[in-house]
Amino acid sequence: MMKSLQRFSYPIFFVVMAILPNVLDDRWQAVAITFLVFAVVALSQDIVLGKSGMFNMGQALFFGLGAYTTAILNSEFGWPLLATIPLAILIPALFGVLLAGPIVHLRGDYLLVVTIGFNIVFVQVVQNNLGGLTGGPNGIFGLDSLSLFGIDLSSQIAVYYFAFVVLLLTLWIMHNLAGSKAGRAMHYLREDQLAAESIGINTRVFKIFAFGLGAGIAGLAGTVFAAQYSAVSPEAFEFIQSVLFFSIVIVGGSSIPGVLIGVFVMFVLPEIFREFATWRFFIFGFAMILAMILRPRGIWPATFGKIPKFLIKESNHGS
Amino acid sequence: MDIFLQQLANGLTIGSMYALVALGYTMVYGVMRLINFAHGDMVAASAFVGLTIYTQVMGQSASLLSVVIIFLLSAVVMACVGVILERVAYRPLREAPRLSAVVSALGASLVIQNGIMLIWGPQMRIFPVLVPQVYWDLGGVVISLIQVIILSLSLVLMVALYLFVEKTRIGAAIRASSIDQDAARLMGINVNSIIALIFIIGSSLGAVGGLFIGLYYRGITFNMGWQYGLYAFIAAIIGGIGNIPGAMLGGMLLGLFKAFIAGYVSSTWADAFTFILLIVILIIRPNGILGERVAEKV
Repeated sequence: MMKSLQRFSYPIFFVVMAILPNVLDDRWQAVAITFLVFAVVALSQDIVLGKSGMFNMGQALFFGLGAYTTAILNSEFGWPLLATIPLAILIPALFGVLLAGPIVHLRGDYLLVVTIGFNIVFVQVVQNNLGGLTGGPNGIFGLDSLSLFGIDLSSQIAVYYFAFVVLLLTLWIMHNLAGSKAGRAMHYLREDQLAAESIGINTRVFKIFAFGLGAGIAGLAGTVFAAQYSAVSPEAFEFIQSVLFFSIVIVGGSSIPGVLIGVFVMFVLPEIFREFATWRFFIFGFAMILAMILRPRGIWPATFGKIPKFLIKESNHGS
Repeated sequence: MDIFLQQLANGLTIGSMYALVALGYTMVYGVMRLINFAHGDMVAASAFVGLTIYTQVMGQSASLLSVVIIFLLSAVVMACVGVILERVAYRPLREAPRLSAVVSALGASLVIQNGIMLIWGPQMRIFPVLVPQVYWDLGGVVISLIQVIILSLSLVLMVALYLFVEKTRIGAAIRASSIDQDAARLMGINVNSIIALIFIIGSSLGAVGGLFIGLYYRGITFNMGWQYGLYAFIAAIIGGIGNIPGAMLGGMLLGLFKAFIAGYVSSTWADAFTFILLIVILIIRPNGILGERVAEKV
C-alpha cells in the first residue's frame, strides 16, 4: 500500500512543486522557498541522525557555515553567488569531518551534547565577529542577487527554482545512498554497531562520512538561504533550529515523506495560522510528545531495502 | 590575588546552583538513561512560581517565615509538575526507541518553556529581594549574604541527598534501580515509585536552584531554562553522569571555570570555552571525572 502510494505521489509532488511558484503571491513564494531550504537541511540531518543513528543536534551549524561561506565570499571577495557553491559545500563538509573525527566514538547522549556545543560555539564565534569577517550580531547583508552568465535571476521565482533544484539533487543523493554500499553500511551501524563491526564494516569511517555528507548538503542549503534573503545573521542558525531539525527527522520517522511532512508542519503551518503565533511552540511541544507516544517510530517510518516483510524482526532502533 | 579570591567566591556560588540543577539531570539519567530536557525549564518555572507565591500568597512579605514558605511551596509545586511530566511524557515511552524519548523530552521542554511565556509573558521579570542585601568587604573581596546562603544551603541539601542515597533503604533501592531496573524489580523494588521519587527529589532541588537563580541574578526570563539547564547538564557530564557526587563536583568545577573565564579572559567567550572544556574532558575521560567505565551494551 505504502509503496504504491509512493510511486504515484512522488511524480505528483514534483509536478505540483514545479508549478507552485507561478500560482503563489510574493509572500507564499517566500514561504515555499523556506519549505524547500529547510527540507534540504532536514534531509541532511536525516543522513546523520536517521540513517546512521548518530545523535547530532548541531546541524544548524553546517547550514550556517554554508550560508556564511557564500555571504563572505560574495561581500568580501565579490564572487557571484552561484560560484560560491563548491566552497559552500566543501568547507562545511570539511568541518563536518574535522569536528566529527574526535567525537564519533562518544556514546549517543554525549555526542548529542557535544554537537549542541559545536552549534553554540559557532553562533558565539559569528556573533563576536571573529576575524572581522562575520559582521557580528547583525550578520552580513546586501549580498548580490542570483545571476548566471550575466543573466539576472533576482526574481523570487528564480530563487525558488534554485531551491527546488537543490532539493531534487538532495533527494537523488538520498535515493542513491539507500542502495549503495555506504548506505547499507550506515544502516547496519545504526541497527547494531557491534554487529556491523564484526562483519567488517569500518564504522568510524562511515560515521565520519555521514557527518561530512550531511554537512555538505546542509552547506548547499545555506547558499540558497543566503540567496533568498541577500543576508545572513547568527540567529538563523541558533541551537533551537538544530532542535527543530532533530525533532522533524525523528517525528517524521526518518523517511523522505515523513521528513517533508515534518518540515511542512513545523515551518509552513505556522504561516497559515499566524494568529496563533505565540502558541506555536506550546502546541508543537504537545504534538511532539503525542506523536512519539502514539507512533514511537515516527509518523511515517522508513523502510530499508527490499527485504520481504516476514523476514524483518521488530528491533529497537538506536537503543 | 583579589580578582582570584573574588572569582573564587562567585564561582562557588554559581557552581552550587549548577550542582543543584545537575543533580536532577544526573538522577533521572542514572535510572532512566534519558536526558530530561524539560528539567532546565522546570528550574526557570520555579523562579516564576516563587515570584507569584511572593506577590499573591505572601502579600509581598519578605520575613524569614515567608521566605521559607516560598521555598517549600515552590518545591512542592515543582515536585508535582515533575511527577506529572514523568507520568505523561516519559512513562509511555519507557520501552520505546531511545530517540523517541529524547524528542518527547524536547517537546515537554517546549511546552513548559512556552507555558511560562503564556502565563507570565515574554518580557523579563524582576525577582523580589527576599534576602537582606548585606555585603561584607573582606580585604578587597566582596561577599554578599545571598552568596553565603546559596553556598551553605546547597551544601546542606547535597550532603543530605548523599546520605539519603547512600545510607537509607530507599536510597539503596534508587541505586539498585539505576544499576539494573529488571533485577531491581525482581528484588521487589517498585521501580515506578522509585522513578516518581527521583522526579520529586530532582524537581525540588531544581526548584531551589531556580529560586537561587532568581535571588542571585534578579532578572528572570521564560527561556532562561535552556541556558542554565544546558550548563547544569554539562556539569553532570563532566562529573560523570548518573553519579551523584560527580554532579556536585562537576557543578562546582564548571562554576569556578566560568567565573575565572569571566574574570581573566572575557565573558563574551564563556560559552565557547565551556564547551571546549567539555570536549577536552570527554576526549580524555569519556565517562566524566568520577564516572565508571560502562561497557558497551551488546
